[in-house]
Amino acid sequence: MIPGKYRSVSGRATNNVNCGLHLVIQTSSLPEKNKVEFKLHKETPSFPGRLLQHDLERNYSSRQGDGRVISPSPRNKSSCISSTTNVTELCGLEMKTTTSSLSAFGDSSIQTPSKSRIRQGCHSAGPNVSGDHINLVSSSMPSFPILQRSSEEKILYSDRLTLERQKLTVCPIIDGEEHLRLLNFQHNFITRIQNISNLQRLIFLDLYDNQIEEISGLSTLRSLRVLLLGKNRIKKISNLENLKSLDVLDLHGNQISKIENVSHLCDLRVLNLARNLLSHVDNLNGLDSLTELNLRHNQITFVRDVDNLPCLQRLFLSFNNISTFESVCCLADSTSLSDITFDGNPIAQESWYKHTILQNMMQLRQLDMKRITEEERRMASVIAKKEEEKKRESQKQSLLKEKKRLTINNVARKWDLQQHRVTSIAANQDRKDSDSPSQDPGQVDGSTISAFPEETGSLDSALGNALQGLSVTDTHLVEVDGDTLSLYGSGALESLDRNWSVQTAGMVTTVSFTFIEFDEIVQVLPKLKIKFPNSLHLKFKETNLVMLQQFNALAQLRRIDQLTIDPQGNPVVSFTLWKYYVLFRLSHFSMQKINGTEVTQNDMIMAERLFGILAHVASSELPQYRLISILGDARKKQFRYLLETKGKKPGIVSEENNDSKRLVGENTNRATLNYTTRDFYNEKLEEIKEKKKFCKMYIEDLVKEATEINMKNEALQKLWPQMFIELVRDAVIEIRNKSSYMKLCLQQITDQK
Amino acid sequence: MATERAGTWLPEAGKLELGSCCGPRMLSPERLALTDYEYLAQRHVLTYMEDAVCQLLENKEDISQYGIARFFTEYFNSVCQGTHVLFREFSFIQATPHNRASFLRAFWRCFRTVGKNGDLLTMKEYHCLLQLLCPDFPLELTQKAARIVLMDDAMDCLMSFSDFLFAFQIQFYYSEFLESVAAIYQDLLSGRNPNTVIVPTSSSGQHRQRPALGEASMLEGVEASLFYQCLENLCDRHKYSCPPPALVKEVLSNVQRLTFYGFLVALSKHHGINQALGALPDKGDLMHDPAMDEELERLVVRSRLHRTSRQHRAQEPGTFGFHRRDKLEALERVPSASAPTPSPYRWEPRE
Repeated sequence: MIPGKYRSVSGRATNNVNCGLHLVIQTSSLPEKNKVEFKLHKETPSFPGRLLQHDLERNYSSRQGDGRVISPSPRNKSSCISSTTNVTELCGLEMKTTTSSLSAFGDSSIQTPSKSRIRQGCHSAGPNVSGDHINLVSSSMPSFPILQRSSEEKILYSDRLTLERQKLTVCPIIDGEEHLRLLNFQHNFITRIQNISNLQRLIFLDLYDNQIEEISGLSTLRSLRVLLLGKNRIKKISNLENLKSLDVLDLHGNQISKIENVSHLCDLRVLNLARNLLSHVDNLNGLDSLTELNLRHNQITFVRDVDNLPCLQRLFLSFNNISTFESVCCLADSTSLSDITFDGNPIAQESWYKHTILQNMMQLRQLDMKRITEEERRMASVIAKKEEEKKRESQKQSLLKEKKRLTINNVARKWDLQQHRVTSIAANQDRKDSDSPSQDPGQVDGSTISAFPEETGSLDSALGNALQGLSVTDTHLVEVDGDTLSLYGSGALESLDRNWSVQTAGMVTTVSFTFIEFDEIVQVLPKLKIKFPNSLHLKFKETNLVMLQQFNALAQLRRIDQLTIDPQGNPVVSFTLWKYYVLFRLSHFSMQKINGTEVTQNDMIMAERLFGILAHVASSELPQYRLISILGDARKKQFRYLLETKGKKPGIVSEENNDSKRLVGENTNRATLNYTTRDFYNEKLEEIKEKKKFCKMYIEDLVKEATEINMKNEALQKLWPQMFIELVRDAVIEIRNKSSYMKLCLQQITDQK
Repeated sequence: MATERAGTWLPEAGKLELGSCCGPRMLSPERLALTDYEYLAQRHVLTYMEDAVCQLLENKEDISQYGIARFFTEYFNSVCQGTHVLFREFSFIQATPHNRASFLRAFWRCFRTVGKNGDLLTMKEYHCLLQLLCPDFPLELTQKAARIVLMDDAMDCLMSFSDFLFAFQIQFYYSEFLESVAAIYQDLLSGRNPNTVIVPTSSSGQHRQRPALGEASMLEGVEASLFYQCLENLCDRHKYSCPPPALVKEVLSNVQRLTFYGFLVALSKHHGINQALGALPDKGDLMHDPAMDEELERLVVRSRLHRTSRQHRAQEPGTFGFHRRDKLEALERVPSASAPTPSPYRWEPRE
């Protein structure tokens, strides 16, 4: 409650009660700060009730609890209260309790002090009476009265002078009182501080409730410790340069809008700036001894520099305009602060107010006049921890979001680059070159992919069941958000090889591809079919869909309900016929929506009308060997894929077979319309070229052989009639002489035997 | 004259008559001047034999199952019917005039409905349609065909099906011939004697060209008669197919001067040339193919039944299906909004 230092002071004060009011000003050379000690008379009945105006102001806000001003007073009457206002109070009290009589101003009609004793404790009731015998005589200068006291008064109260409620409009010239230490001008109408420069030993100056507009005339009062200027009209803190030992400065109830010119007051312990026009708090450097700072009832929106006050213990910021903790966050850095009030600020209405303050200011003992319990502190720390966690989570989310954004940007850039390159190559009409640059990005991807599984692994574990696996690398991005699987960049297709949990895979109904060449997507479609059997909605954006025939590739999927082809990066969408072609080619899916618009029966009929003949021609007019080769390609492709992935699972294989059978059964006339990716097609063309070369040679040989035979045959045919005639003629000549020929024959037979 | 007619289409049967290849030609002096091998090559018999063997190689397992003799029968039948070019690679499609004609015919048959629907399409979209039949069809050729229909600076404009088809026919079927023509035209335009032309009266020809050049700067294009002379020469020597010179003469005799594209437009619009080529029907009958229309009607009915039965199955439970069918029927009565009216042509035909 009351800091130790003050407790000890009050303790000492109680020891000296019998000596009436005694002001001891110790200009000790103790290493600690000089102290002003007020010792109160023990029997000061007026004390609790005697609250000055500004004390009231101070207290009404603390009515709800036992305000710290009120609380000490009944319990410990003699205790010394350390706030500025209390000091003022004390002074007022002291004035009253003095038993000495007060001499009225010369012939002025001010009441005589005879009643002074009776009036004890009723400070507010009527003009105050001073115990001194004072004569105010007109001085030689017409405007200033001259004050003189009788010598006996001087001896009795040699060091104090009270001129309370004297209706003074100017400071009187005080002569022969150079030893005065305490001077009180409360409740007058003084507009200017004058004529006190000779009182160089003055320690206590009270000008409360006057009409002073400017701080001035104090430059010689080097030993002044307490300066009370509350309830005046001061607009600016100034001219305090020489008051180096000032201990208490009360400027409450003025019109000050800025804290300034106080940095030299290194001994100042109490500064009261309540009820001024401050809009913010700063310039507090150098106030090394300040323990209490009252800033109630201003319009303060933010507070700075408080962490530069090493001794500050109490700070009153009630009834200001503070709305965020950030605007007072320097308070958290103050190690000495133990008591703070924020009531009457917007910040105090916030739900997070209490625990935020408690969490950030561990050193605090009182908040808004209430002692902080351990329980409260625990609660605050729990809440704060939660909040922190939440913040961290959201930060993580936003970090991920940002990372995602960056990655997508990166992928987009890469895509653009690639597109540009591809088109420029196409412009060069150099097919062969297109292979090597298209491999380049692939290699780049390859290096980053190696880092890919680790990252996703850690993320997966971190996010747990949140179903928000987000894997980010520089070149591609894979994201599962609810029922949507989003793939950005060609590298993302690799993720289809990953082991997706059954739950995730089952939940995904929408697959979106962005910045991926459609031809690359085609290659993973069989995988997609197996890994995400429930995917019904495909989205394509920036996938380089340029030809109608590319849609043929989608026919191999299990089922598609919706198809969304973003016009961005998919020139095919600009065609008039693309929707009809999709409907025609994928008619076996009986799709519900294309690019968000419902498919009507009319659309289906139109599609059939436009392309039905194509399918008919393709199926009925294609020679059988071609049919086999085209359908065979598709089958072979599937077969090859199955071989590549897993021959282990016969279940899937058979299912696959069923699938292809069903597919064929459902639209045989369309199955011939398939799509082979450009690379694959080029490969095939190369293959065909090889075969052709061989066939050409083979046929050439055959034909040459055939023509040669033909030529020989023709030559033979030409010769044959002549040859025949010659042969016949020879035979005839031989058998012309029958008997000799017979002889010859017989001879031959006998010879043989 | 090296022009050859691979055959004519019998509209009903859609069959190719190879009669012009045999018979009287066999005994012509030309025929006797060639060796057998050369003759077979020139008649593209070798091409088909090679391709047949190639196809056999490609699917030898499958084909051996149903008989090699059967395969060859089917192959050469399909060559006669012109269905052998469907979904084949471009190098094969353009290999012989018969293949080109077959492809043109297949394109017309398959996408006649697009023209009938009245859709005007861009060059790129036509190219896509071509690619549906021939996956590696080069864009360049389509572009050239579109250039016959459209002005140079309006290549993105929409074209009607018939305009594109006839222009494409000329460009595709006579592409080598047209390249030579373009070279000749450029030479004539720049006032040079076309080096490809060996004119006996070359000096006189040059004399005639000089003034023509002066006019050319004012008028446009080249003088028709001179152009014809050069083309006649070209047709005589050209080893690729050319339009019949008599018809070229007819085209060129109608005008005094003409530009290259003017010439192409005239060629593409000439009935005689279309008939001589024999792949496509006359312009008036372009949308006419009753057999196919009948087939299409059957297909449409079938698909409608298929879909409704499917929807029935899918949406039987719940009231939603009921709603939806109502909507579908309502929409059916509304004409398709996506089909633009064919009348206002947005492109300018070249003159």
